[in-house]
Amino acid sequence: MRTARRLLLALGLWLVSAPAAHAAPCALRRAHSVIETLRAFVVQQISQTPAKPKPATLAPAPAGGPSVDLKDLSRPEAIERQVRTEVPSPGPDSRLTVPDGQARLGDFTIGSSETIPGHVLVLEGDANVYGRLLGNLVTVDGDVHVHPGGVVAGDVLALHGDVKDEGGEIDGEVRTLSAATMPAGGAAPLSPLAAAARNIAGVAGVFLTLLALGIGLVTFARPNLEVVSDTVSHSFGRAFVTGLVGQILILPTFGMLIVGLILSVAGILLLPFAVVVYVLLAILGVVGGYIAVAHAIGETYTRRRMAQGATLASPNSYRYLLVGLTGLFVLWAAWSVFGWVPVAGEFVRAAAVLVTWLMATAGLGAALLSRAGVRENFAGRIIPPEALTDEYLWATPQFGVPAVRRPESGPGARPGTRQEPGR
Amino acid sequence: MRIAALAVALLFWAGVLPAQTMRPFTTYRQAHGESHLTARLEFAAGRLKVVPGRGADLYRMTLAYDADRFVPLSHYDAPRGAATLGVESVGGPGLRVVSRHQLEQDAAVELSPKADLGLAVSLGAVEADLDLGGLRLSDLRLEAGASRTVVRFSQPNPIRCRTADISAGAAEVSLLKLGNSRCDQIRVEGGVGRMTLDFGGAWTGSQRAELSLAVTELRLRLPRKVGVRITMDRLLTSFDHSGLVRRGNEWVTPDYDQAEHRLDLALTTAIGGVTIDWTN
Repeated sequence: MRTARRLLLALGLWLVSAPAAHAAPCALRRAHSVIETLRAFVVQQISQTPAKPKPATLAPAPAGGPSVDLKDLSRPEAIERQVRTEVPSPGPDSRLTVPDGQARLGDFTIGSSETIPGHVLVLEGDANVYGRLLGNLVTVDGDVHVHPGGVVAGDVLALHGDVKDEGGEIDGEVRTLSAATMPAGGAAPLSPLAAAARNIAGVAGVFLTLLALGIGLVTFARPNLEVVSDTVSHSFGRAFVTGLVGQILILPTFGMLIVGLILSVAGILLLPFAVVVYVLLAILGVVGGYIAVAHAIGETYTRRRMAQGATLASPNSYRYLLVGLTGLFVLWAAWSVFGWVPVAGEFVRAAAVLVTWLMATAGLGAALLSRAGVRENFAGRIIPPEALTDEYLWATPQFGVPAVRRPESGPGARPGTRQEPGR
Repeated sequence: MRIAALAVALLFWAGVLPAQTMRPFTTYRQAHGESHLTARLEFAAGRLKVVPGRGADLYRMTLAYDADRFVPLSHYDAPRGAATLGVESVGGPGLRVVSRHQLEQDAAVELSPKADLGLAVSLGAVEADLDLGGLRLSDLRLEAGASRTVVRFSQPNPIRCRTADISAGAAEVSLLKLGNSRCDQIRVEGGVGRMTLDFGGAWTGSQRAELSLAVTELRLRLPRKVGVRITMDRLLTSFDHSGLVRRGNEWVTPDYDQAEHRLDLALTTAIGGVTIDWTN
């Protein structure tokens, strides 16, 4: 049976894609019309909608059983959810209570001489109103037709259907809620494998970009990078607070800059350049600071390993940067692989975002504290005077000052020392 | 080995990531001889278009909304003749971060030109185009957040409108053909952004407008046939007063006292600029 259906489907698809009759020779036109008829039949068979259930009244459920209240239809999604929960697969034997109303299965018609009090819920069928309905009307997977002379005194709601007002009267509100659709241009849902591959590619791309930027910084601005990195290492708390304040003030400062330039006549000319420079400086501060944090992490880790006796080929800034960035991206790598897991994936991503923000904030603060690696005050390189001991005052003179001669005579003189004449 | 197999199995799990889903929703109400409608439109994010209705409906809204984050609003209070339409966030009021995808929500609202209309519009991150021309507008209140909003009166208002209250946050707001609005009093509060007030249209009376702006670039389009008087309280605001003459503490058009229709503008600005375009 399944094979036959597949053959039918394949035949149908082939016939759908058959060439137009205009291209066929005259002798084949009759054959083509036969094919067209056959194709129409196959297409009709393939696209045939499932048959509607036989009209029936659903018996009310016993107390505490499934129930759907149609009194208030202003929340169509809630009604839809309630119906799907209470009667997931409606059938003639289903039982459902509609307070002050009734539930129907399949097509339902209110005759022109009929008046129905209360609400009506129609499942998997159309509702045709020729007479009077004194309550609300809801259809699920069906349309509502209000014919001339038909009256619905309450509201009308069509879930996954349409309301066709054909000249009747609806005193209440009319609502239709259709099935969900993807937005125009929206991306299709990805499988976990595809999502993981996409995330891995994204994380790897960002990692390589930061690594390339870091290598550039190490190559061309190593002293500045090292000062910022040392500032992070020696004054992490201070750098973080400074970075936090910097983030808070970044927009007001930008606004003040713009307003100040606008107010000064000459400054207006500088406005486009100032905006670009300010934005670039802000990006440079954050990205450069983040790279400096990676450098600091890598340096700390590498020095600890060497202190433990590990022999490393090239313990230099390039290595520090690679090691530090790898450490910082561990969480992002974990998210890229397991980000699709419903709760844990979000948790890992939140952790990665938090850590990245912390590090970027500290890096920005270190960059600000050290004036982009110019000031060494917070880098642990300048020793304050109070920290100096007089040990430094006993440096050995290099030249110009003769060494003090040791005492040679007297009770304290060491045995065997020579006594100079005349003294 | 088992862990690796489990990891691979999880990786190939046939579930899908949650994606944004847009749901079409339509609501309307047949007109049954209502003489007055109080409509409140609340739209948090997306595009909104408001036009005068052409059919026999009191109102009609066609909406495509982000079902993951919003629910449609559709309620009519028959005794008060008040309709509430739009979308509201699932999470209720509060700070929201609106993504680009949420801006793909789209709503078109038609309002009956047969009933007197009191209209209140509350907009979030919205691109809105409100054509109120031809509607029997009695009151207008517009609150625009971070939006780009155009309110136009393409046709004259058949009735006199008492007040139009416009409040804009970080927004770009254009009010076009305000002469057609027939509003006696127009009050505008602007935060940061750009604002255009076009007083063109068919004038049948005089108008008074009170503008209170913080950091806003204001462009006034004033018809030459209307007598204009501007009183200004400005701090760091440039003012292009071409076409106006100074009279005490106010700026007036030379024919202000003889004009059939007058526009009195009370302008309070902090930072920004005011430019005037004269139209025929």
